[in-house]
Amino acid sequence: MEVHLQLHSILREKLPAEARGKTVLQLDEGTTLADLLEELDIKRRVVMSVNGDHEPDQSRRLRDGDQVMITSSISGGMGALLLNQSRGKGD
Amino acid sequence: MPHGYHRKILHVDLASDQLNVEEPGEEFYRKYMGGSALAMHYLLKELPAGIEPLSPENVLVMALSVLTGTAISGQSRMTVAAKSPLTGAIGDSQCGGFWPAEFKFSGFDALVIKGKAEHPVYLWIHDGQYELRDASHLWGKITGEVEADIQEELGDDKVEVLQVGPAGEKGVRFAAIMNMSNRANGRTGMGAVMGSKNLKAVAVRGNNRPSVADKAGLSKLAKWGANNLGDSDIAGLAKYGTAEGTSANQSTGTLPTQNYNRGVFDKWEALDGTTMYDTILKGAAEGRQDREGRDTCYACTVRCKRVVEITEGPYKVNPHYGGPEYETTSTFGNYCGIDDLAAIAKASQLCNMYGMDTISCGATIAWAFEAFNEGKLTAEDTDGLDLSWGNAESMVKLTEKIANREGFGDLLAGGSERAAKKIGRGTEAFLITSKGQEAPAHMPRVKRSLAIIYATNPFGADHQSSEHDPTIEGNFESYADRLAQLGFREAQEPRSLSDEKIRFTMATQHMYSALDSLNLCQFVFGPAWQLYGPTELVETVRAVTGWEDVDLQELQTVGERRINMMRAFNAREGLDRKADKLPEKLFKPLKGGVSDGWKLDREQFESALDRYFAMCGWDVKTGVPERAKLEGLGLDWVADQLGV
Repeated sequence: MEVHLQLHSILREKLPAEARGKTVLQLDEGTTLADLLEELDIKRRVVMSVNGDHEPDQSRRLRDGDQVMITSSISGGMGALLLNQSRGKGD
Repeated sequence: MPHGYHRKILHVDLASDQLNVEEPGEEFYRKYMGGSALAMHYLLKELPAGIEPLSPENVLVMALSVLTGTAISGQSRMTVAAKSPLTGAIGDSQCGGFWPAEFKFSGFDALVIKGKAEHPVYLWIHDGQYELRDASHLWGKITGEVEADIQEELGDDKVEVLQVGPAGEKGVRFAAIMNMSNRANGRTGMGAVMGSKNLKAVAVRGNNRPSVADKAGLSKLAKWGANNLGDSDIAGLAKYGTAEGTSANQSTGTLPTQNYNRGVFDKWEALDGTTMYDTILKGAAEGRQDREGRDTCYACTVRCKRVVEITEGPYKVNPHYGGPEYETTSTFGNYCGIDDLAAIAKASQLCNMYGMDTISCGATIAWAFEAFNEGKLTAEDTDGLDLSWGNAESMVKLTEKIANREGFGDLLAGGSERAAKKIGRGTEAFLITSKGQEAPAHMPRVKRSLAIIYATNPFGADHQSSEHDPTIEGNFESYADRLAQLGFREAQEPRSLSDEKIRFTMATQHMYSALDSLNLCQFVFGPAWQLYGPTELVETVRAVTGWEDVDLQELQTVGERRINMMRAFNAREGLDRKADKLPEKLFKPLKGGVSDGWKLDREQFESALDRYFAMCGWDVKTGVPERAKLEGLGLDWVADQLGV
C-alpha cells in the first residue's frame, strides 16, 4: 500500500534534503505507526497525525492512501501533546 | 572577591543628572541572584504605590544576574521591570542578545533609573565609567539608524546599544526595549516607560569580564551542552527556530487561529519554521541559510535566532532586523488568518524598527480583525482598511499605523482592552487579555495549567512563566528523571487540574521565576526538555559563583521570593484576586479540527485557583501573600509594607 509521509522539524533530516520532509512510501498491509517509526529509526518523542487528525495511538494500522505527519517539537514552550492521550471533545 | 558579579549597581536620576554607584554585599546577591528578583527589591523599596506608569515617578530597573557574561549557553539575558503602562500592574520582561553580556563587561550588574530627563539623553557606560549624553539628534529615529549613529559617535562598532524606538517615544503602551535592533524586552510596555523618561538608549562596552570560581567546571558544562545539543529535544528549535513548533501545535489543535476561536489553521504550513528555513532565511536561495540565516546570543551554542532577508516582492525585509519567532508568526499569522510569511516577516521588522512587542501588537490587530469580521467595526472606523480574515496588506499597514499612533492605529496603541472599552459595541467579547495583556500563542483550553498562570501571573498572560502541561501528562516518562528532582513521580490526566497538577504549576512557576532571576534562557535551562536540567542548573550556579552549598531548593526559593514580591507589588496597587481572571472567550468552545468543542470549565478553573492560592501561601479570598509566607522568604519588610 502507498502512504504519504510528511516529516517535520528536525525529523526532516531522515530524508534527503531535496525531499523537504515529504515522500511516498510503499508499506506492507497491516503496518502500524509504531512499525513506521521503527523503520524510519525515529527514537525521539514525536507527535503524529493521520489524515490531519492527531493520532496518539501508535498501534493504529495504516491504510492505503493515508497521509501521515510526524513532528518532533519542544514540549513546554510549544505544543506537543500526549502520545497516550485519549481523544476527547467538549469537556 | 565576588565571582560572577561586580557588586556595582548604577543608580541614575535623570531629573537631576545624578549618577551613583551602590555596592551591595554578597548576602544581597545570594538572596536575589539578579534579574527580576533583584529588580523587584528596588521597585518595592523605591517606587511609591499608585503612580501613573508614564510619569517621571516610575522607576525602571535593568538587571543582570550573577551568571551573565560567563562562557555558557543561555546566560546572556537581562530583565527590565517597572510599573506597566499596559496593565497598571508590575511590568517585567526579559531579552537575550549580546547587550546583556557587554553590559556586564562594562563593570556593572544593574541600573536603577528614576525621573525624567529635560531633553532626550542616552547613557554611555564603559569600563566602569558612565555619563549621560545628549540624544536630541537620535529622537524619532528607528532602531537600526540609532544603533549605527551611536556606534559611529563613540567610534566603536562593538558598542552594544539598547534603546527605545519611535513607538516607545510616542507612548505605545506595548512598546518594547530593543537591542541589536532585533532582540526585545517585548512584554508589558517597558519601552513606553523608557521613552517617557526621555532616555533614548543605553550604550555599553567594556573588558571587565566577571570572575568565575570554577572555570574548568563551567567549561565542562558548556562542552557537555554543545555535545548534546544535536540529540536534545531543542535540536529542531535550534535549526528551524521557535516557529518549528507550528506543526505540532497544528497537529494537536493548539494553534490559536482567528483570534483564539479555533485551534487549527488550514494554512499552517506556510508559517512553519521549516518553511521559513527553506524560503526566506538569509542565504536560503544558495543553500547557505544554516550559516547566514541563524543568529545567536553571547556564548550560546543553540543559534535559534532567525535572520530573514527578502529582496523581491511587496514585502522587502532587511536582515538587520532579524526574523519572526513562533509568537510572531502566530499573532500576525494564524491569529489573523494570514498565511503570507513575507508579510509577517515585514510586520516583525516594523515592530523591531519602531520597538513594539509582537505579541501584543499582533494580538491587538487580531482583536480588530474579529471585530471587523463580526460587523462591530467598519471601514469608517479603520481608516478604510479591510480587516477581513487573511488580509495581510491591511495587517502590515495597521502595524505601521500603530507604531506612529496614526488614525485607527492610535486607538490600538493602547492595547486591545483599552480599544474595546473605547469602542464598546460588544467588542469586549473578542478580548484575549489577562490583566490587560494579550495572550501569547499557547492555549489554556487544552493546557489547563496555563489557565491558572494566565489568570494569576502578576504581569498578565504569559507562556514563559511555568512548564506546560504535556510535560506532566503524556511526555512524563521522557523526563521522569529530571521531574523527580522536583518531586514529581506520576503522569497526570490530560486537561486535569488535580492537586498534583497544581503543585506542578506552582513548582515549575518557581523554577521559571528563578530562571528569570538568574536571567537564563528557558530553552537552555529548565525542569524537563531543555538542554540543561535541574542538576546542571545547580552545577552552573556553583561553578560560576563558588557558592558550593547552593542547591535546587535554594534556587526554587529565589523564584518563589520573586513571585511573592510581584504579588505584593500588585496588592499595593489595589489588585487582588478579582484581577486574576481570564477572558470570557476561553470558556467558549473551540471550533474545528482536533480540538473542536474544547473549552475551559468554570467550576474546575475556580476550584483550581482556590487550591493554587492555598498552596502558594496566599489568602484564598484576596490572593495576597500572607505574612507567614513573606517572613519565610525573608520578606518581613514587604509584609510590613502590605500591613498583613
